[in-house]
Amino acid sequence: MYIIDMSCISAQDTYNNAIFEEGVKVQTEAQYWAVEPKYKKMIPLNLLRRMSKSVRMGVGTGIPLIDQFKDSLDGIIIGSANGSIKKSVSFLNQIVEYNEGTLTPTDFIQSTSNSIAGTLALMGKITGYNNTHVNNGIAFESAILDALLLFEEKSAKRLLLGGVEEISQANYNVDSLRGMFKDVVVDSTQLLDSNTPGSVSGEGAALFVVDAEPSEAAVAQIIDVAQIVHPTSAEVLAKAKLFLERNKLTTDDIDALFLGYNGNSETDHYYNELQENLFPTQAVYVYKNLVADYYTVSSFAVWLAANLFLGKKMPSEVIKKAPTKPTERILIYNHYEGTQHGFILMSRP
Amino acid sequence: MEITALKEKLKQQIIDYLNLIDVEPADLQEDSPLFGPDGDLGLDSIDSVELLVLLEREYELKITDPKEGRKVLIDVNSMAQYIIDNVEAK
Repeated sequence: MYIIDMSCISAQDTYNNAIFEEGVKVQTEAQYWAVEPKYKKMIPLNLLRRMSKSVRMGVGTGIPLIDQFKDSLDGIIIGSANGSIKKSVSFLNQIVEYNEGTLTPTDFIQSTSNSIAGTLALMGKITGYNNTHVNNGIAFESAILDALLLFEEKSAKRLLLGGVEEISQANYNVDSLRGMFKDVVVDSTQLLDSNTPGSVSGEGAALFVVDAEPSEAAVAQIIDVAQIVHPTSAEVLAKAKLFLERNKLTTDDIDALFLGYNGNSETDHYYNELQENLFPTQAVYVYKNLVADYYTVSSFAVWLAANLFLGKKMPSEVIKKAPTKPTERILIYNHYEGTQHGFILMSRP
Repeated sequence: MEITALKEKLKQQIIDYLNLIDVEPADLQEDSPLFGPDGDLGLDSIDSVELLVLLEREYELKITDPKEGRKVLIDVNSMAQYIIDNVEAK
């Protein structure tokens, strides 16, 4: 499938693409908060006042694309593991606080992961396929697979596809207690070399208009996607090779890797071993030092890779190993906590 | 309960419960319809449930009959009068 347009809200100035001209914002907190646009200009206040952050970011990212493509979109597919965890916690707390009495509907409506795709569909009057994938660290990969299958069975020609996640204090605290995040916060310039247990927490939304068929408008192709859970490093390498073989490619056909390094001393070895064993000469790009970790962060990697194909100059912070030849094919490899691993194969259209 | 003070308190509660953006208590006209095209706020059916929850949580007044709800949730005046009549009757 082919990306013909895209939009992104992240901890960097990505909404207006300023990141490519003005550079990367250094993050100094344990949470990399999204830089949100002024929603009042694009979302009616009556809708905006009810929106959870994840819905706000998803709708804010999607509105420019919906405005342009709503008449031709056959459906919306979103990956969002948590939806609005903040609204979920608020809703659950009310059950206790008010002794299972009458509950406010807004928190419940806004808490679910599929509120994002639902709200976008209502705003754009898109009555076609509408689905949300919530399977944690491979939610966005699953959304891609859904889109690829729809295109393969010719059930759709054009889709809105994306990944959205928000930080909430509640899930940050819970995840911190189980050792998800680093005890000692380092700024984002030191993150990848920190080599300590845990990651940093991020949020964002990246949405894409994807077509089944190539056209002049295509900026990048998503060729295929693969997932594996709870693998050993050896199984990751085997999966990568099989994935490329399935697409009639070898490791030599890959020009660049986008890897989800996060400075976690317990799980970065997956990236090292993949790169050293299978792709020792290829360029390597990184992204979690820009936007931190979240379940659907691979959607940001796809956005970044598509911009590379568009000819945007990559910030020096994302280049771990510089390319020595033009980039025609990219392999994105991302895992969440070392448990859920996803591969996304992209190429120049 | 003094009705003028109650109305001011109620306006703030309406703003908080409905998360009205850029609206101050002074912006809410007491006789302006809460719902429908003639109202300033343009509230909808989900908001009506939020307002029923407000009455239940803040004033321990539970409205279960939709016909009664339609008479109460007309404007700030009608809500305040309903509170006065029913809280004092308790």
